[in-house]
Amino acid sequence: MNKQVVISARHLKKSFGKDENVQTIYSDLNIDIYKGDFTVIMGSSGAGKSTLLYSLSGMDKPDSGEILFDGTDITKLNSDKLAVFRRKECGFVFQQIYLIDKMSLMDNVITAGVLTNKNREDIRENAKKLFSLVNIPELTWKKNSSQVSGGEAQRAGIVRAVINHPNVLFADEPTGALNSANSAAVLDVLTSLYEQGQNIVMVTHDKKSALRGSRILYIKDGEIFGECNLGKYESDHPMRTEKLERFTAEMGW
Amino acid sequence: MMKQAFTLIKHNLNKMKGQFFSFGIIICLTAVIMNIALVLALQTFSAYDDRFTELGTADVNVMISQMEYSDTIIGEIEKIGGVMTAEKHEGVLVAATVREFADADFDMNTVFYNLDADRRINRLEVSAENETDERLIYIPVYMKELGGFSVGNYITYSINGEDFICKVGGTVSEMQYGNYGTGLIGAYLPDAVYSEFAEEHIENKIVEYSLIIEEGVDLEEIKTSITELLKNKGISVLSVSDREVSRQTRTMVCTLLIVIFLALAAIILTVSVFLSDFRIRSAIEDELAQMGVLKAVGYTSGLIILSTVMPYTLVGGIAAVFGIVLSYLLLPAVANVLAIQSGFSYTPVFDVGAFILVLLLLSLSILLFSYISSRKIHRLEPINAIRGIIGKEGAGQNILLAAVSFGIMVLLSFAGTLLYNVGLKPDNFMKTLSEESPSVIFTAESGKMQELKNVLLEDNRTESVLEYITAQVSSPDGSLTAFVCEDFCKVRNDICYEGRNPKKENEIAVGNALAEKYPIGSEIEISCSERTAGFSVTGYVQSINYAGEVCELTEGGYDRIGGSVGTVYVYLQDKTADIFIAEYEEKRQELIATSVNYERLAENSSKIYAGIVSVVTVVLFAISVLLVLLVLYVILGSILNRRKTEFGIYKAVGYTSRQLTIKTALEFLPITVISAGVSAVLSIWYLPAMNQSIFSLIGAMKNHFEISIWILIIFVLAYTVVSFVISVFLAAPIKRITAYSLFKD
Repeated sequence: MNKQVVISARHLKKSFGKDENVQTIYSDLNIDIYKGDFTVIMGSSGAGKSTLLYSLSGMDKPDSGEILFDGTDITKLNSDKLAVFRRKECGFVFQQIYLIDKMSLMDNVITAGVLTNKNREDIRENAKKLFSLVNIPELTWKKNSSQVSGGEAQRAGIVRAVINHPNVLFADEPTGALNSANSAAVLDVLTSLYEQGQNIVMVTHDKKSALRGSRILYIKDGEIFGECNLGKYESDHPMRTEKLERFTAEMGW
Repeated sequence: MMKQAFTLIKHNLNKMKGQFFSFGIIICLTAVIMNIALVLALQTFSAYDDRFTELGTADVNVMISQMEYSDTIIGEIEKIGGVMTAEKHEGVLVAATVREFADADFDMNTVFYNLDADRRINRLEVSAENETDERLIYIPVYMKELGGFSVGNYITYSINGEDFICKVGGTVSEMQYGNYGTGLIGAYLPDAVYSEFAEEHIENKIVEYSLIIEEGVDLEEIKTSITELLKNKGISVLSVSDREVSRQTRTMVCTLLIVIFLALAAIILTVSVFLSDFRIRSAIEDELAQMGVLKAVGYTSGLIILSTVMPYTLVGGIAAVFGIVLSYLLLPAVANVLAIQSGFSYTPVFDVGAFILVLLLLSLSILLFSYISSRKIHRLEPINAIRGIIGKEGAGQNILLAAVSFGIMVLLSFAGTLLYNVGLKPDNFMKTLSEESPSVIFTAESGKMQELKNVLLEDNRTESVLEYITAQVSSPDGSLTAFVCEDFCKVRNDICYEGRNPKKENEIAVGNALAEKYPIGSEIEISCSERTAGFSVTGYVQSINYAGEVCELTEGGYDRIGGSVGTVYVYLQDKTADIFIAEYEEKRQELIATSVNYERLAENSSKIYAGIVSVVTVVLFAISVLLVLLVLYVILGSILNRRKTEFGIYKAVGYTSRQLTIKTALEFLPITVISAGVSAVLSIWYLPAMNQSIFSLIGAMKNHFEISIWILIIFVLAYTVVSFVISVFLAAPIKRITAYSLFKD
């Protein structure tokens, strides 16, 4: 089956630091992200998972290489054009959530929504539906991020990320700061969104989170070291868990 | 774009309500001061000119003795090119002492006019008529406001030792004299009273020619032509005045106030710009991750900058409008205070020009500087911002606090020095603003001068005795007040600011008004009575009371033009002028014609000025405290927000809120003390220049102010203590930070 490529990155090079302190994360990395996938990027700490995620989403620029996002080379865009690109094409979920403090959950969502939709009421209606989808009760919408649980805040973060119907939802360790109950709830939301057709790219080092993905990529030594197709998630079936365990073991996890 | 940023703008406004409120107060204060200054600048001078025209005031007034008058002169004056029309007025010019003028005796060259005489030029507007059989006088607004004479009061003019007492029948609004800045003032008598008065002072009767000249004609040329015309006829000019000199002297305090207000507004605006800059830079540091997230979700740098800059601009704009409105509540009171000095009053009205100017200036300054402060948002990479990576930051709060402390100390040093020289060393202030100030002035009976001097010199209560007189002389440029002294080396207040005092009988020092026309070494002709002599200019002297139209002559020089010194200035060792005068008037009445208690006059004047200066000092101190309060509020607000975790940790290890509050407040102490101290030390050098330039605006070219190190130390300490107390007060919210919040966060 020929899958449609959403993001195609070629010969990516990225390093940090200067002179003798230079640390190369990857020097010639190639990767394709396909439409209809819940892509999970795994790897050990410092392997460059998040760096790759942010390069693919136009949040950070690689030192060299080409990233074609739906045919557009986003490495050539300036910062303002990248901002406009992100508002239309990308949604972001962060490990530290990063809702704007002292602003209600609803306003956090509207703040993102107004970038692509001039009709505030329309945004509000969409937000309400999404809040219901992620199980955030109406009474909580007007609360600030500091007044809700971490799980609720992260689910609101997901609503903010998808309010503009992004082409790809990027999630960087979305359960990293949450307890197991809240993590499960957040993963359920992501799974649900995926089932509704949302393309997702998620970085995680948590196998439970990785189980939700349909395609697992393992990054090691600056390249995509291995790939595992888990298929569509239905439940934490032992076979699926075992397949992932075997894959990570092969990768040297 | 604005619609997209609206939610963020609203959020930023809500999030930092307190900070914006304090910012708004500063801008409001700036707008109040700035609008008052601008409305005064835009309306006072035009109101003056309107009133000038309304009363048909002459462009030039020339006064000669009636004894030298002839019918043909007015016709010849009207023929001078540029003169549109001329009118003749009669009057009586006397050197009078007004008793109880602001509770003191005040020497005033006064021109008494017939109130009922017909006038086309220099018309009078009488504000109150009083039907009574008593002898009435109508006084200028200036005499009423500054002298404290109300309708119905009695006023005493002491003329040649005789008291002329009248009941104040009303006030006269006129634009010829207005105040005493030009060295002459009017007084207006009803027809019958005037006739009687003129009869008694027939030798002092004058004729005044009031001229309206064509637009664009040079006033100096007209004055010179008339002076030449009269000189060729052998007529001495007693006085020449023109609209420009009157306007300048009458609006002098207003000009000074406008300059001070604008300088004050500029200082406060600078502080508020610093504040917004600091707040924006802090916000960028504090909310780095949030800005990164905004960029991640698709906000462009422009949108984020807009949402950062707009709240400041909006708050600034609204506060400016509020301040402008507030200024109109204060303007009538300010205009009334100015009317005391200017001698004419007007009601300031809403000024569209000033409104637009203040609003635009404040809003655009805030917009510009807050944009400059927030420009670095452009350079923020979203991922770096989220990860908290930012370029090197300077010590913003320390720079802000140091700059504010330095600036405030400039204000306080100025105010403190003013207070010291008016309240504690009033001699310095009086020397700067007035001429020679003895304890007592005696006018000797005819031929008794030397005997009086000998008696005074033998009196062990006197420190020194000096033959000195203030007299009227004429120059080609009009009337001058001459200070004549037996020896200028012995004067207590040397008013010579350039060159030297005259020593020989053919030498003269001229006032600052003549300095430009007569360079040192040049010749000037001076007349008195019917004699004229040439004098060589040796230097320049200052005079605020006579608008610089003065000169210094030696006794020998005065003698050359037919004058003689009939008064002695007595300097007492103690402040006992009252007893001294009473004793001499009782025991030595054969030697003394008149006496003036100058000590009391100086004290009263000092009290008036000390009162004004105390108010200025209190206002400056209040503004300083307010600025410190607002600046520290912004800084501490930022610190409490940024160091919440640190304070939580301190609390977790056992620090009390009180300890942390004191510790935080103490952190500001070194920078406050150092910058205020440096400013105070530097003020020893810059204050003399600052005082000199401010006082030279009103003609005080030679400043006698002393800088008191103790006053500076006291003000530095006061400022430090006040800043510390405010810091403790503002750091109090530390008690709301708990160790538990660490875990919660």
